[in-house]
Amino acid sequence: MAITYQAVKALTAQLYDWSLRRIPEDTKQALRDARAAERHPGAQRVLEIMLGSALRAEQTDRFVCSDSGVPVFQVSIGTAARWEGDIKAAIADGFDELVATIRPPLLKHVTNPLTNERGYKGRDMPLIGWDLVSGADWIEFACQPKALGSGRWAAAETFSFPSLADIEAYVMKVVMQAGSQHCPPVIIGVGIGGSFDVAAKIASKATWRAIGTTNPEPVLAAMEQRLLRAVNATGYGPMGTGGDTTALAVHVDYAAGHGYTPVAVCFNCWINRRTRARLHADGSVERME
Amino acid sequence: MNLTDYRRVRMPLSREDALSLRAGDMVLLDGEIVITAGLPTHHRILACVEQGGDPPIALQDGSLLHLGSYSQEAAGGGLEILYMNPTTSTRFNPLMPTLIRHFRLTAVGGKGGLDAACRQAMQEVGCVYFSFLGGGAPLHSAAIRAVREVAWNDLIAHYRLVRVAVEGLGPVTVGIDAHGNSLFESIAAATADRMPAILEQLALDRAAAGG
Repeated sequence: MAITYQAVKALTAQLYDWSLRRIPEDTKQALRDARAAERHPGAQRVLEIMLGSALRAEQTDRFVCSDSGVPVFQVSIGTAARWEGDIKAAIADGFDELVATIRPPLLKHVTNPLTNERGYKGRDMPLIGWDLVSGADWIEFACQPKALGSGRWAAAETFSFPSLADIEAYVMKVVMQAGSQHCPPVIIGVGIGGSFDVAAKIASKATWRAIGTTNPEPVLAAMEQRLLRAVNATGYGPMGTGGDTTALAVHVDYAAGHGYTPVAVCFNCWINRRTRARLHADGSVERME
Repeated sequence: MNLTDYRRVRMPLSREDALSLRAGDMVLLDGEIVITAGLPTHHRILACVEQGGDPPIALQDGSLLHLGSYSQEAAGGGLEILYMNPTTSTRFNPLMPTLIRHFRLTAVGGKGGLDAACRQAMQEVGCVYFSFLGGGAPLHSAAIRAVREVAWNDLIAHYRLVRVAVEGLGPVTVGIDAHGNSLFESIAAATADRMPAILEQLALDRAAAGG
């Protein structure tokens, strides 16, 4: 049995819709943990209001944020998966149908960068990253709508044989540039090495990892832990109005490269929109988050 | 979250109330606010100012909040807002001092704060900045009681200028008060001061980890 155009179209539209109305469980837990640890009274209240907003979105099936961002998908195709039809077109068609049918309607956020005109359609929209997974017979779809609030503050710089100190100082520089702006507490993704595009992709994919998981690479596990402490020592706090909780997690990953080493840093705002599901060969859908 | 703990202030905010608030206070808003999330909207308001005219919704001694909304014609006539949420205020930094001074605004707001030039204009006229919860659409939208006016319908929904009646909107944090205090500036300055120590701690942690 093959994975169909129709199944891809329906699932990717659903993933987008779900991502707007729910905050991932790991993120809610991280907010509760942060509330328990937070020492700043104002920040304690802001964290409580965040949890209240998340709960109300669930109870009333509301969008958590009015900015639904633009559709961003990551597709991981098993090398043993079989499909029929144009699954690339299915994702774009699914988004078109969602725009026409979703209630409440989405605001227009797809922006032509040359004219700043906004609508629901645009060149290369939805933004899709493609990967192959050796041996798997499924296709995995992940959706992470991105908007200006946190997307604006991503940055990358290319170094020559940087030390870990250089890399970490750069991460802190980008954290300071973002300051109070990116709807903290944020999830921070850091990509090191590869090439310019690869480092950015690694940073972005690092934000997908569940909060609380540990990097299997001991050097990076230690780096994530100390960077999280460092970011939370800045004092920006929830919504940037002060407190101990500026980040819920720092996730770092890397790829080998040449001695020129790009370092990319990106942010997800506190609502951490993220959904993921697999289409299996037997036609079943496995919702993962 | 117990909302009875919060002070409530009436909007449009009186100058007296604006002056009574201090950076870090958290309040709930009742009354009428004027909102937009559009850069083109700010340019249009500025064009009105430059031409000596008035914008279609009065702003004098009022509020201009950086909140985006989905407004539409309601089935039973009139207008409705389906949802509402703040946008990044710093995008409007270059335009706000003129608007704050010209209209003698008592309240601005959104998320992320405004810069020092805006803070100075706010201090001159007696104006505060309210920091709204980003990702707070379910709460902010539930506070809407009525849509009074929507102007510039040729713009996309979140860019329109909208006058909304709200009850219990917030809680919002006073991010910048009318006395020259900005949480955003003071935190950024404190962080910059602290950064050498933060980097030093990172070096100690690296050494401890064998890096």
